[in-house]
Amino acid sequence: MFFRMLIESFVRRRSRKLLAVAAVWIGLSLVIGLLALGLDVGDKLNREMRSFGANIQLQPAEAAVDVRVGGYELVAPGRTVYLDEADLPRLKQIFWRNNILAFAPRLTTQARLAGRSVPLVGTWFNHHVLLEDADPFVTGAAEVFPYWQARGAWPMNPESCLVGAALAQELDLGPGDRVELTTDQRSTSVRIVGVLTSGKDEDEAIVAPLSVVQRLAGLPGKVAEVQISALTTPENKLAERYGRDPQSLTPAEYERWVCTPYPGSVAADIQNAVPGSSARVVRRVAETQGAVLGRIDGLMLLLGIFVLIASTLSIMGVLSSAVLERRGEVALLQAVGAHRADVLRLFLTEAVAIGLAGGVLAALTGQVLGGWLLRVIFDSASEPHGVLLILAPLLGLLIAVAASVPPVWRTVHQQAARLLRGV
Amino acid sequence: MNQSAVLLEYVTRAYPGGVRAVDGVNLKIALGEWVALMGPSGSGKTTLLNLLDGLDRPTDGCVHVMGQNLLQLDVDEAATFRRENVGLIFQQFHLVSYLTAVENVMLAQYYHSMVDKQEALLALERVQLADRAHHLPSQLSGGEQQRVCIARALINDPKIILADEPTGNLDEDNADRVVKIFQRLHREGRTLVIATHDPDLGRLAQRIVCLRHGQIVEECSPDGSDAAPRATGAGASHDRDVMHVTAS
Ligand SMILES: Nc1ncnc2c1ncn2[C@@H]1O[C@H](COP(=O)(O)OP(=O)(O)O)[C@@H](O)[C@H]1O
Ligand SMILES: [Mg+2]
Repeated sequence: MFFRMLIESFVRRRSRKLLAVAAVWIGLSLVIGLLALGLDVGDKLNREMRSFGANIQLQPAEAAVDVRVGGYELVAPGRTVYLDEADLPRLKQIFWRNNILAFAPRLTTQARLAGRSVPLVGTWFNHHVLLEDADPFVTGAAEVFPYWQARGAWPMNPESCLVGAALAQELDLGPGDRVELTTDQRSTSVRIVGVLTSGKDEDEAIVAPLSVVQRLAGLPGKVAEVQISALTTPENKLAERYGRDPQSLTPAEYERWVCTPYPGSVAADIQNAVPGSSARVVRRVAETQGAVLGRIDGLMLLLGIFVLIASTLSIMGVLSSAVLERRGEVALLQAVGAHRADVLRLFLTEAVAIGLAGGVLAALTGQVLGGWLLRVIFDSASEPHGVLLILAPLLGLLIAVAASVPPVWRTVHQQAARLLRGV
Repeated sequence: MNQSAVLLEYVTRAYPGGVRAVDGVNLKIALGEWVALMGPSGSGKTTLLNLLDGLDRPTDGCVHVMGQNLLQLDVDEAATFRRENVGLIFQQFHLVSYLTAVENVMLAQYYHSMVDKQEALLALERVQLADRAHHLPSQLSGGEQQRVCIARALINDPKIILADEPTGNLDEDNADRVVKIFQRLHREGRTLVIATHDPDLGRLAQRIVCLRHGQIVEECSPDGSDAAPRATGAGASHDRDVMHVTAS
C-alpha cells in the first residue's frame, strides 16, 4: 500500500510532481553549470594566458662548463656555450610532459644583407618533435608566442624566411623577394614568405628556420636558448618558501612541491632532463597568470555560493509549499490511524524521489550548460566531470529533504483536528 | 465505566483567545447507544467529536472512550486507539484525492493491519458503490464520496462511529441512503455519535444531546437557528429523551 500510495501520488498528481522536479532541475542546473564552468575555467584561462608568452626559459648552465681541472678553466671565459637541439625532445618525456604546451629554440647570429649587418634569428616553425612512443609533437614559435603575426605565410622549409616588419620597411622587402644572407662562414639564398610583427626585437631581424641559422653560424645542432610555455599552478606559500630556501621544506612538503606543477617545480624538472641546461621562471608572466587565476577562482567561488543559495531558496519554496498544500492529507492520515513516522516516511520518500530525479536531470543539463558557457567564453570544448554527476543528485536529495521534512514534521505535531476543519 | 462507550467529566476545550468551544460538559453514552449531537453551528459539536476521537485534547476535564482515558495517550497512541476503535465520518469527506475509492478504503486497512482488496470492495458494495470502486474522488458525486468515507470508517469494524454532519452536504436521496446505513449499524449494535442539525436524522437517534455555546442544554434548535428553540418533547421518536445537565 505504501508503494501504491507513492506511485499513485506521482502518477495521478503528475503536474505537481513535475513542477517540483522541474524546480530542482532548473535550480540545480544553474549551480552545476557554474560548477562545471568553474572546474574548467582555471585550465582554460591558463591556456588562454599563454598569449603572454613563454613562462619558462631554458639556457645553457654556466656551471656546466665551469669545470676546473687543477685550477684551470677548461672553457675560456667569454666563450658562448650552447644546448643541443637533439636533447629537446626530452621536454616531452619529463614527469610534467603534459604541462609543456609549446616550446621553441632560438639561435641568433649576425648576417650581412644588402651591404649591412642585420640580426638573424633561427627558431622552429611548425616543427615535428619526434617522440618514442607517441605521435610527433608539433610546436614552434607561433605556438609559444601567440602574439607573433606574420603577414604572408610561415616559413615551412629551409629556403624560406620571415622579415621583421621594421626591417622590411627599411629595406623595402616583402613576401616573394629573394635575399642573399652572408656570414663569415658561408652564404645562402632564401625567399621571404612573410612579414613578422612581434612587437619586440624580431621586428628588426630576419627570422628563419633554425637549421638555416645553424648552418650560417657554423653551429650545427646547437641552440642558444629555449622558450617554453608550460601549464602551471599559481605559486602559493609553499612555492614561495621553496623559492627562498629549498632546504626549509620538510620531506613531506618537498614531495608536495614536486607533485604540484608550480612554475618552479616544472622548471626544475626540465633542467634535470636537459643536460647542461639551466631553467629559469619568467616571473613577470608567471605572476600575472597566478594573480589573474587567483582572482577568477575567488570570483567563481563567490558566484557559485550565491547561485547555490538562491537556487536552494527557490527550490525549497516550491517544494515546501507543495507539502504545505497537503496538510489536510497529513491530518487525514493521522485520523485514520497513521503514526507520525508513517506520514514522515511517505513524504520523505517522495522528497527523495523528486530530489534524485531533479538532481540527475540537473547533472546532465548543468554540464551541457557549463560546456556551452565554456564554448561561448573560451571557444573550447569541455569534458564531463564525474564528480558533478554524483554531486547534483546528492544536492537535489539534500535540498528536497530539507525542504519537505520540516513542514511535514511541524504538520504532524499540529492539532490534526484544526487541519481537518480546513483552517 | 465498563458499561459506557463515552464518559466525559467536566470537559472544557478553550481556544486561545478565550472561546470555550466546549464548556464543562458531562456526558455518558452507553455501548450500542445512538446519540445525536445537535445545536446551532458554532455550538461546539465538531470540537466535542474531536475530543472523543483523540484528534484534539481538552483543556480541562476527563475523556474516556471505550474504557480508555484519552488524556494518557500521546499523538501516536491516539492514532492507534482510533484505528482500533473509532470510525470517523466527516462532513467534508476528506478522501485522498489521488487514490481511488477502493484505495481510500484500503488506506484505513493499511494503517490498521493488512490490506485486503476483496474486503475493501465488499465494503464499497455494502454502501452500493461497487461500480464506482476505481473512480477518483473527483469523479464521484458528493453522496458517493460520503459513502466512500463511510466505507472507510467501517472497514476496520470500529466499536464506535463518530460522524460530523454526515448528511450536511448531501441531497435528499443520498441523505436517505446514509440514514439507512446508520440504521443498519445501530441494529448491528455499534455505538453511534452523530453531530447534525438535520432534524430528520436527529429524530432517529435514541437520544438527542443539545449543545449551545459549548454547553449541554435542555432545548435544541435543530434547524441551526438560535432564535426559535423548540420543546424537545415534541419529537416523534418513541425512545428518545433529552440529556439533562447532570453532574454524574
Ligand atoms: N481553532 C480554533 N480557534 C479558535 N476558535 C475556534 C477554533 N475552532 C473552532 N473555534 C470556535 O469554537 C466554537 C465551536 O466550533 P465548532 O465546534 O466547529 O462548532 P459546530 O461544529 O457546532 O459548528 C466556534 O465558536 C468556533 O468559532
Ligand atoms: Mg461543525
